[in-house]
This record gives sequence, structure tokens and C-alpha cells, in this order.
Amino acid sequence: MNPMHKDELIKKWLNNELSEEEQKAFDALEDSGFNSYLVNYAEHFKASHHSAPDDFKSFKSQYDKFNKQKQPLNKLKPLLRIAAVVIVTLGLYFTFINSSKIVHQTMASEKTTISLPDASTVQLNALSRLAYDKDSWDAKRQVTLDGEAYFKVAKGSIFDVKTSAGVVTVVGTEFNVKQRTNFFEVQCFEGIVKVVSDTIVRQLTAGHTYRILNHQFSESITSALLPEWTKNKSSFSSVPLQLVIAELERQYNVKVELNQINTSTLFSGSFTHDNLEDALKAISIPTQLQYQIETDQSVILYED
Amino acid sequence: MPKELSENICDEQVFAVVYNKLAQDLHNFLYYKYGSQINPKDTTQDAFIKLWDNCKKVALSKAKSFLFTVANNLVLNDLKHQKVVLKHQKETPKSYSYETPEFILETEQFAERYQSVLERLTEEQRVAFLLSKVERKTHKEIAQYLNVTQKVVEYRIYSAFKILRKELEGFRIK
Repeated sequence: MNPMHKDELIKKWLNNELSEEEQKAFDALEDSGFNSYLVNYAEHFKASHHSAPDDFKSFKSQYDKFNKQKQPLNKLKPLLRIAAVVIVTLGLYFTFINSSKIVHQTMASEKTTISLPDASTVQLNALSRLAYDKDSWDAKRQVTLDGEAYFKVAKGSIFDVKTSAGVVTVVGTEFNVKQRTNFFEVQCFEGIVKVVSDTIVRQLTAGHTYRILNHQFSESITSALLPEWTKNKSSFSSVPLQLVIAELERQYNVKVELNQINTSTLFSGSFTHDNLEDALKAISIPTQLQYQIETDQSVILYED
Repeated sequence: MPKELSENICDEQVFAVVYNKLAQDLHNFLYYKYGSQINPKDTTQDAFIKLWDNCKKVALSKAKSFLFTVANNLVLNDLKHQKVVLKHQKETPKSYSYETPEFILETEQFAERYQSVLERLTEEQRVAFLLSKVERKTHKEIAQYLNVTQKVVEYRIYSAFKILRKELEGFRIK
């Protein structure tokens, strides 16, 4: 038999494709027994002699056991959700409602003096608001101001006054900060004050005033040792009339009606906080205006 | 059959059918491919756990290829390039018993040699040869497991046989 034919026979035999005739030919091969033996001997290595997969039942129990580790978490899920909500709510409560933030606020025609956690004191002018965080005070001396206040800052670490118009930074000194609509003024009475507003940065020494009026920056010198308002008097130098009147409204809690008046006229002078009539005279005489007190809460200013 | 195809393998009864049908095959495939040291039993179990975990994503018709692929990956992750160890059954398998034929010099050495030849075959040759000749799987089935054509399966079986024959020729009594 030629070797080609023999190889073909063996291939067919391996494929179980031998016809009856070919089977005979294969059996007739002198080594057919050996070939069969070689193939059959592989049975000694049958997988199932050594290991077999679990039946489904034991697989199932394994699977359940495996999954049980995850299960408790699923049962806890609704509880975890509730817990999360509670924690977030408490967090918000302590952050915003029960925070250590302390706020002082004055009404119109009201002034107050505040002692900060260190020896610093703040006098708060009418219709102003001052806030600070009691807990972080030792780490960071910072107050937020809306309105006008006079600070006497005890020596110590950096002390920041944040306003919507700018930041005033000091170490220990006396200064007044006034922040009103379109008006930001810092007056330094002692020591050095650093003022940052927009792009304008200045170091003020005693007697200097930093002012931003309608986005216009100016600097001036004052001889006063204290802001006039702490002595129940409002003092102005070259301030538009409308700001003076706004201050008057705050100090006396009145509404001033303006009858065809140019409110951008600059006013220099002062008015007292004790007597509305005197205050009105102080404003109206230099500006050549007339006034009329309508009720306790209403005043009209008009031109002659 | 089409009805069965649409069935959801998440269902325990359907899954049990799949398990009973494929667990043995998967196990044997892993054993012949990687040998006993990878613990084909555990790998089979892990593959089926993966299948059940993902039962919503795997259609019944894809379960087989999913299982074989996952099991293969599990093994590859586990250990690469380890020497394959097959276990030799000392006693003659019960399925067919015969006296040592006169044409073979059957000794301890023959068994050892046979085993070492099997272990040294490429995994492709070994898997195809053993699945066909020991597990009596059809070429079609083997081709499916291995993702190759039947011709390739035939060739692998033939080349495995040729190596066995060549290596064991010396034990033949002429």
C-alpha cells in the first residue's frame, strides 16, 4: 500500500469517516492495532476521572452564598438613603442655620457699638450690617460689612473687612469704612490700612482717605481724629448731594422728596443727627434750597 | 427550539437546563486545555456565576460562547504559561477493558511517555484530540467551542495523532 493512501486512511479513520471497505483496508494495516491503541489510551486521561463540575443544585447553593454577601447592602439601601438625607440636612442646618456666624444689623437712625471676640470694637452706623464667624475668628479675623462702620482693631493678626466694593486689610489700627451705593470710602485714623478695590490698591496712613465715587478713585487728607458720625454728626467734603441726602434719610429715618433738584451738586459740610430741622438747614442753606417737613417721615426739598 | 431561544436565562429553570447541558463540556474543555492545576471545577463555577449575574444581557443562544470566552479569560487572568499537568488514570478505564495487546510494550514508561507527549502538545492539538477521542465530541461541536472551522479541528486532531505516534513508536513491538 502506498504511504499516501495510508495517510488518507488514517485521516478518515480519525474523522470516523471510513466506509466499510476502507475499514477493512485500515484493519489490514500492520499497525492498525497500535494506532487504535494509541487513540484509545487517551481514555486514561479522561477529565471526569479526576474532576467534574458540581451538579446544578450545589452550584445554586454556591451561587446564593456568593450573592448573599451583596444582599444585606441591598436591604439596607432604603435606610442608607434616609441616613444620607438626614446627614445632608444636619449638615445644612449646622452650616447655615446653626452656624457660628454672628450678624449685627442697625436700623435707620440707629447706631450701635460691637465688641469683637478680641479686644477690637466696631461702631456701626445707621442701616448697616456687620457679620463675622465666631468659631474661625482665632484663625482668621474677618468681618463682612454692608454700610458704614468705624473700626478700632486690636493688634494681632491680619484683620480683613470685606465689602461688596473692596477689601480692607489691616493689622491693628483705627479706620472707618463706608460702603454705600456707588460710594466706597476708607478713612484711616491710625496705623496703616491696605485697601483693595477692583484694580486699585493703596496703603493708607493716618489721616488719609481713600474714596471711590461712581468708579472714580480719589485720595484726600482728613484732620479728624474720629469719624464725625461717631459724634452724632455727618460730615462731607465734595460729596454729591444725593449721597448726603441718602445719609440724612438713614440718620433720621425719613423719606426726602426731591423737587427738581440737581442732586449731583457737590456738597461740603456736615449735619447733626439730633435735630432734623437743624440738619435740613445745614444742608439747604449752603445749597440755596428750601425744605418743608410734611410729616415725621417725609420731607420735601425744592428750589426757590 | 425558537421558543427556547427567546427564553430568559435569568429564570432558574432555564438556567438549570443551560447548566446541565454545558457545565460538563466547559469543565472538560478547560481541563484538556489548561490541565488540572487551574482547577477547572472552580473556573467552571465562576464562569456560570458570571453568566447568571449577566443573565439579562446574554441571550440563551449566546450563553455557550459567553461561557467559553469568560472561562478562558478567567484562566488567562489567573495564570499564564504554566506547564500543563494532566492526571493519568492508573487503572484501565472501565468503559473498555482488554488485556495488554501483544503488539505493545506496555510499561510504566509507556504511560509516563504518553502523558508527557500529551502535555507537550500545543493546547490546540490537545484540546481537539481529547475532546474528539475521549469525550467523543463531533468535529462540529469542537469547532463551536474553539471558534474555528471543522477543517481546522480535523487538522489539529490529525497532527496530534501524528506526534503521539512518532513519539511512542519505540514502544511498538514489530
